[in-house]
Amino acid sequence: MSLTVEERDELRSTARSLCDRKSPSERVRAVVADPPGFDRALWDEMVGLGWSSIHVPAAHGGSDAGYAALAVVLHELGRAMVPSPFLASAVLATSALMCSDNNALASELLGALVAGGSIGSVAFASTDGTYEVSRLTTGWERVDATVRLNGSSGFVLDADVADVLIVGACSDDGTPAVVAIDSASAGVRIEPAASVDETRRLFSVAFTDVVVAEERMLCEPGARAEELLDQILAVGVIAAACDATGATERMLDRTADYAKDRMQFGKPIGSFQAVKHHCANIAIAVEASRAAVNAAAVALDGEPNAWARNASVTSSYVGPACTEACGFGLRVHGGIGFTWEHDSHLYLKRVMLDEVMFGTPSWHRRRLARTVIESVQEEELQRS
Amino acid sequence: MVVHEPGGNLDELRRSVREWCATHIPKDWQDQQRGATNDELVAFLRWWGAELRATGLLVPHWPKEWGGGFSIPEQVVIAEELARGGAPRNGLYHVGVFNAAPTLVHSATPEQQQRFLPGILNGEVWCQGFSEPNAGSDLASLQTRAVLDGDNYVVTGQKVWTSWAQVADWCMLLVRTDPEASKHKGITLLVVDMHSPGIEVRPIKQAYGASDFNEVFFDEVVVPVDQRIGRENDGWAVAQGTLAAERAIFILEMTERLRLNGIEAAVREAAGWRLESGEPALEDAGVREAIAESYAEAEVLRHILNAMIENVIRGVDVGGTSAIIKIFYAEVIQKLMRAVTGWQGVRGQLDEPLLECAGWETGFWMNDYIHSFGHAIGGGTSEIMRNVIGERMLGLPR
Repeated sequence: MSLTVEERDELRSTARSLCDRKSPSERVRAVVADPPGFDRALWDEMVGLGWSSIHVPAAHGGSDAGYAALAVVLHELGRAMVPSPFLASAVLATSALMCSDNNALASELLGALVAGGSIGSVAFASTDGTYEVSRLTTGWERVDATVRLNGSSGFVLDADVADVLIVGACSDDGTPAVVAIDSASAGVRIEPAASVDETRRLFSVAFTDVVVAEERMLCEPGARAEELLDQILAVGVIAAACDATGATERMLDRTADYAKDRMQFGKPIGSFQAVKHHCANIAIAVEASRAAVNAAAVALDGEPNAWARNASVTSSYVGPACTEACGFGLRVHGGIGFTWEHDSHLYLKRVMLDEVMFGTPSWHRRRLARTVIESVQEEELQRS
Repeated sequence: MVVHEPGGNLDELRRSVREWCATHIPKDWQDQQRGATNDELVAFLRWWGAELRATGLLVPHWPKEWGGGFSIPEQVVIAEELARGGAPRNGLYHVGVFNAAPTLVHSATPEQQQRFLPGILNGEVWCQGFSEPNAGSDLASLQTRAVLDGDNYVVTGQKVWTSWAQVADWCMLLVRTDPEASKHKGITLLVVDMHSPGIEVRPIKQAYGASDFNEVFFDEVVVPVDQRIGRENDGWAVAQGTLAAERAIFILEMTERLRLNGIEAAVREAAGWRLESGEPALEDAGVREAIAESYAEAEVLRHILNAMIENVIRGVDVGGTSAIIKIFYAEVIQKLMRAVTGWQGVRGQLDEPLLECAGWETGFWMNDYIHSFGHAIGGGTSEIMRNVIGERMLGLPR
């Protein structure tokens, strides 16, 4: 059941006020400085409020409010740059299980994720950061009635605190599979790969003869597994874009405030068109990104066959727009914006990771081109 | 002919408009109009306006008593289907239908509405006398004078960039009635009969070759007081009365033309070209990326418009958003045209006959690119729009 506009506004204001109180930027800086690198009490509170399961069907204990509601939470977490396993667990792992064909496995794992007893993450990028299934660097093979994993995955969010890892792997003959493993399984090695954005925690995960029961597959290997990986990717792209939009919106507020306060040549700098137009450009990026991510999130509540196209549209516009906008924001702040002490660089780094975390805009445009060109050609065929 | 009425089922309206478009838009109109003279173009647009009127689709956004009454969701459907069907764009009637009428509905007396609105439906052409040689972005500094003399104003001055003044019946004219007042306060809005003595219209050829622009000179033109819209010296506010909803629907139609027909045209163009290297353009990564980027931006623009229209329906202020969509549209269309001219290379520089009234996507890409600058200039430049966003949305000081 989707939320009404009023309910969404209410969710937004609750989320904003909690994030403002519990995750001001000084707090963000403090929590990322020490292990585990996020505020576990705040994470528990978010789970308790039902944010991490807001899109999960009621049958699995969630609020069943859809991705449109999840998008509101993601936007606010981005606004406050909250470091948390939300994207890894509530978005990627939870969505992977929601899309899975293995109901028994989904029920078992979703139950724990929704209750907050466990944290999940997804390992589905290669060690060089690509999501092309044929280029995955984790392999799988069947040995008797088990699946054996070897190789490694890169850019896995919050792997060190994840209890469950959903792994995308590709066999020697090019068949993809998706399997859920216990992160404490023998043969799993997790190494930090610190990102420039300190509010995010990335890891590489190596698998050496990791043995998993066949029943831990989320779906049939092959075409269906490729489709499932694409669905998780689409959710990731759109979620990251929500985060970037929230962060850029906050950057806009702070930049406009600064442009009103900071006096030079006897006037507030916001009265100069060069500065005013930078601010206007940030506002355009925010308004357009907001419209794009809301529409994309609503589409996630619809037919999965439109997810990839929506994700690529979102990636193509939102990532570059938010990155450019946060760059303008930093520049309007002048010298102070160039310091470590000021938050400008935190927003910029966060949105730059959001932009490419689930594939570059350029790669998404190439995927989108295939769809767009095919549909024009199909229409031509129909006409002739 | 089917007459479309408001208040029915949306899907039924869509089906009906789509069918009407399929049977009424001449299949070869673009070929026929390519290279047309202004007289031929005007005759064609008059015919097209009458067709739209006959089927009830000329003025869907007007109030019901004047021949409209379609809800905003219905207006969206109509705009989408006219764009999808590749209908001619009725630039000739744009000022009358989209600018003059909403202002008259908003600010004119019932007698004035009765006098002017039916004429627009019957094919009278309106032009808009706002800009002057020394009043462009700084419109409020306009100097065309109107002096009250008994029951008449006597108007003297000069307007510029006045589209279709050469065939217009009426002009929505901003004049200065109080030169002593501060510049926004001394302006009045008049409706001027373009057949009046003392008006001289001189055409201006535009950068892309068409000549629908004009300079208009007023030499002691007599305008009856009962053709003043709103109060004297209140013209600045009256002229701002064009509603956001209408602007959104207009851009929505343009966006749909771009999203559906423009992208398709770019794909077809690329399918027909080989790059200098001999590689088919459509297989080139850069070309494919550019097409996808423009497609994505057109989709995003559509999402902004949908959000704006939802807000209009909910009664939320969308002033800043109209400035955003105007800038965004101009940038999307310019980027696409620029990309295509880029990969066409020197072959894209060959001259072709001009096609007007097809939007910004006529298939003559070089000209379409030059034409697209108009959207970043007319109706408030993108720079002025950025000032509006900065000042009205973000509260930055002037």
